[in-house]
Amino acid sequence: MPMRNVTTTGTSAAGNSTQGLILRIQRMSTEDGPGIRSTVFFKGCPLACRWCHNPESISSKVQVHWVASRCIGCLECVRTCRSHALSPSAGGMVIDRDRCTGCLACTEACPSTALEAYGVRYRLDDLVNEVLKDRVYFERSSGGVTLSGGEPTLQPEFALALLAKLKAEGVHTALDTCGQASWEVLSRLLPFTDIVLFDLKEMDPDRHKAFTGVTNSLILENAQRVASSLRKNGRPSKMWVRTPLIPGHTARTDNVTELGSFIRRNLSGAVGRWDLCTFNNLCLHKYQGLGIDWPLGGVELMGRAEADAMLEAARGSGVDPGIVRLSGPLRLETGRDAPERPRAALGVVQGGKR
Amino acid sequence: MSTAQACVAQKRLKQPKNLSPRIEWLRRYYLEGAARRWNNEFTAWTTGTPWDEVFDETTFYIVPETYPFFQTFRSSFRQAARKVDLHPDFWTWSIAERRAWFVKEVMVNRLPQEILPGDLLCGARFNIQTSLCLDERETKRRNRLMFGKSGVRRAVKWFHDHGYGNSGATSGHLIPGYERILKEGFKAVHDDLEARLQALDPREHNGEKGAQLRAMKIASTMPRELASRYAELCERTAAGEPDPVRKAELEQMGRNLRRVPWEPAGTFWEAVQALWLTHMLVMSDENYPGPGVSFGRIDQYLLPYWRASIEQGMDREFGKEILKCFWVHANTAYDAMVRIGNNGITAGYGQLITLSGMGQGGRDMTNELTFAILEVIDEMSPILEPKPNVRLHRNSPDELLDKVVEMIASSQGSPFLLNFDERSMAGMMVEARKAGVTHLIHEGNVHEYAPVGCLENTMVGNDRSGTVDNNLNLLKAVELALNDGRDFFDFVDPITLEKEKARQDGPRTGDPRTFRTWEQFWDAYAEQTRYIIRRCVDLYERSEAVRAEFCPTPYVSCLVKGCAEKALDITRGGAELNFTTLEAVTFATTVDSLLAVKYLVYDRKECTMDDLIQALKSNWEGYEALRPKARYKAPKYGRDDDEADAMADRVMELWCEETWKHGTVSTKRRFRPGMLSWNYWVSDGFILPASPDGRAKGTFLSNAICPSNGADINGPTANANSVGKALGGLCPDGSGDYLGYYNRLPNGASHTISFNPSILKDPEHKEKFKAFLRGYAHNGGTCLQVNMIDADTLRDAQEHPEDYRSLLVRITGYNAYFTSVGRELQDELIARLSHEAL
Repeated sequence: MPMRNVTTTGTSAAGNSTQGLILRIQRMSTEDGPGIRSTVFFKGCPLACRWCHNPESISSKVQVHWVASRCIGCLECVRTCRSHALSPSAGGMVIDRDRCTGCLACTEACPSTALEAYGVRYRLDDLVNEVLKDRVYFERSSGGVTLSGGEPTLQPEFALALLAKLKAEGVHTALDTCGQASWEVLSRLLPFTDIVLFDLKEMDPDRHKAFTGVTNSLILENAQRVASSLRKNGRPSKMWVRTPLIPGHTARTDNVTELGSFIRRNLSGAVGRWDLCTFNNLCLHKYQGLGIDWPLGGVELMGRAEADAMLEAARGSGVDPGIVRLSGPLRLETGRDAPERPRAALGVVQGGKR
Repeated sequence: MSTAQACVAQKRLKQPKNLSPRIEWLRRYYLEGAARRWNNEFTAWTTGTPWDEVFDETTFYIVPETYPFFQTFRSSFRQAARKVDLHPDFWTWSIAERRAWFVKEVMVNRLPQEILPGDLLCGARFNIQTSLCLDERETKRRNRLMFGKSGVRRAVKWFHDHGYGNSGATSGHLIPGYERILKEGFKAVHDDLEARLQALDPREHNGEKGAQLRAMKIASTMPRELASRYAELCERTAAGEPDPVRKAELEQMGRNLRRVPWEPAGTFWEAVQALWLTHMLVMSDENYPGPGVSFGRIDQYLLPYWRASIEQGMDREFGKEILKCFWVHANTAYDAMVRIGNNGITAGYGQLITLSGMGQGGRDMTNELTFAILEVIDEMSPILEPKPNVRLHRNSPDELLDKVVEMIASSQGSPFLLNFDERSMAGMMVEARKAGVTHLIHEGNVHEYAPVGCLENTMVGNDRSGTVDNNLNLLKAVELALNDGRDFFDFVDPITLEKEKARQDGPRTGDPRTFRTWEQFWDAYAEQTRYIIRRCVDLYERSEAVRAEFCPTPYVSCLVKGCAEKALDITRGGAELNFTTLEAVTFATTVDSLLAVKYLVYDRKECTMDDLIQALKSNWEGYEALRPKARYKAPKYGRDDDEADAMADRVMELWCEETWKHGTVSTKRRFRPGMLSWNYWVSDGFILPASPDGRAKGTFLSNAICPSNGADINGPTANANSVGKALGGLCPDGSGDYLGYYNRLPNGASHTISFNPSILKDPEHKEKFKAFLRGYAHNGGTCLQVNMIDADTLRDAQEHPEDYRSLLVRITGYNAYFTSVGRELQDELIARLSHEAL
């Protein structure tokens, strides 16, 4: 078991070299790089994408959230909270985020885990021990460990130590990054990274700023530096680009075409795969739990025809068409005229009742 | 017999494919059930004496659902029984000789023989209920032992009513020595018996040994005489057959039956014919239609015949056609009570076949017949029998795993069980050591093991391990430890409303409210565990002794090495390997309950022992804040949490070591441990009171070695790792019990993991799933059932979110707990899954 320092308040995780603030560990992940992987989701992100499907990963603080279906209404949490940040209402538990200090006394007190913490501080050794439990599955599948988030580069010392330790253990490593990081940090992580999952979302700088809070200049620059570093070190195709296709936002053929041109011009030889990931709306409850009004809450999933247009744009953009993949859920289109749908957009289900 | 899960039929309807008109007709005709012109339902046969008994309920003591019907079965079979004219010397013979003669008389001279249009195999009717062949004095004694005031039946019912589980000497559940019959024929069996009979001294000749060998000799001629009846029928039918192709087939079938199973088989067709006839007569001899009468490694012992016939020009598809006829025949076991449904035994009879697996020196034994049989399964399924179990190991070829994964993908759930050799064989090596039979199970032959029924590992042709005979709820010991050796409640019979006060059944281990440390509670639990095991052992002895005295099966004894050598019936302990298995039920519920007691009362002091006991006695009512702490905050087995899994290890070691200490007195069978659970984990949840893990009375217990429902929140790899650790884990230096593996359960353990179908959505993911199976072979248990989540599961989760907290849905890089995503999105996920299933 990891050491859970549950009394730690919500301080910034960056710069803490001995402990990492981790959102969760996802074992038997089949979507975060090659093979079977354990994905370590870091907490804290420099971007705030409107469509973010892990909104709980954005803040670099430990946060509390409330799961309605688990609450038994005992109000032990309200009695326990010394900051008076919790108040029951007709619509559920209201958490005053300004008052909440992240002391987690309420999650301790809650008998049914209806109040849960987003964020656990892990010591490096505990985290490594935890992910190494699946070493045999990594070995059989050519998989390994993926650092994702949030943004791992926001906790550079911890990320570096983790990657170095995993490499020393002979484990395949992947770094899933949004690219909004100093090159100094990225360049230190790359030698311990077997494969880089690099998000490229939007070519238009103004739109990028509007959608994510920052322009894309540093991201595009880093993408080129990563690519050239990989090429220089004789590691072709070890960069996988990921592009979220968000209706009304990034899901425009012109954007996809331009992204493709950028990849062809600047990243050629380095990119082994370009994943187009369709928008999904399953995270709505997380926004609700965090008390955030999600502007994309009412947005529909992408239709088949639109997705095909994006795929065609990407394949026609000059990149090797063989590297382009489409994944993610699509709008359910039944009825006679509905085009044939790809099977199984719904992913792994783990556990469950037998 | 099988776990409800391990052998559950698939919900999603895969369609058979590539069936010839012949097989399509046979399959459709089979599915007409009771509407067929004739079928294989039970016929009953009596000696005609006024005291005769035709039904032996002993074999159903492990099926509590049938208890209320025993009296009905007993009388109705007797009433419906047809009288058989007896041999003039009949009543001068031993019970075994009478029984051998009677069963043979019924099979050869009374039951009609029939052949279906196009069928390539003979051997149609075999479900019979025959007289126990006892005289009046024997019947009186037997009935007193069975039905008297202190008889077995009452003791069995008491054991079940009070939540201990069930136990009884059960038929089937072995792998007979079929390979010998193919190689040598029954002639060799007969001649060997004759030689042994001649070698007896006069005293033995006139005693029990002589009687047993004579009985077996009678039985060994039954297949020849039945085969010759069928041969005559083939010849007669061929004579009137206008179609020259069919005529030739019938003539060949006649020639086959003139040879086998008396003579060794020469061709593939003969081998399969011999196998079927030999097998179906086991079910006749035991009056027991199928459960667990298993074939072993058919892709190994049929291979020489397959190769020889292919070389002689047999078309590969025709070889498969013979196998498909065999498949249809195996399903007719279900006809036993075709008019009233599935005969109250089980929906999965478990005539198990084993495919692939390891050979000498770790060599892989996959061959061309393995793939031909997998094709047959694929093309025939969905079909219930025979059940396949595919043995995997570290050297299993990619080609085999590709086929396995492909079939799982197209069936939306596994059409077979997967057995894992290294872990299984480690368990067999433990058995050899513990029972002192290292001359019979050792490094040189342990790879010859095969599972019985579903996953119960045994050796082949010389082994009866009573793999389903004792099913004990470990959780009962927790209840007794919490109440100083007494049941929580007085027992009220649900039918008669008769009340029985709770007594001091278990040892007095002290009032737990006075225990100051967790270890004191553990000691009480350990003492109660030893008690419930002893109680189970004592109960088993009683039905075992009655069976040994009154219910010989001389034909089965012909097929199991040791019986002829010892001149001892298999029901009396004749087999070389002579075990009975204690299958522990409620493992995870028990482990989680102990973890919860430790966490709530001792480590965290969330409540007092008194609070906990009161909460359990009130079925958690009034303890709404304590129950979720027990359910959700206390540690649980199944998450790859080393501390929690250490408790699993401790529980496992305790009950296994205790189990090895026991044996039967009447038949000298050693007890060995296993974990099956069949459906008891569902039904006994209504008998056992609330448990400290937060489970309420009336809800499911844990199944076999699986984590408790919803406890495995860290996914399939964590789940598998916990199971491997509970079995003993791996030995760092590569020694262990076998090839670096430990395994406390020679019988093996049933493990089910549910996946979303999208784990197999494309070739890339199929490769990942293959890698998971290879990882499971290293870290996991002995046997895995792969289930696929379907829309029904999600609907159930929508209605019962508390049972599905760990149900994770994943959309390309994004996870959410199904129960927390909100109704609308849940509906969409359900619609999506239903749609994709179409």
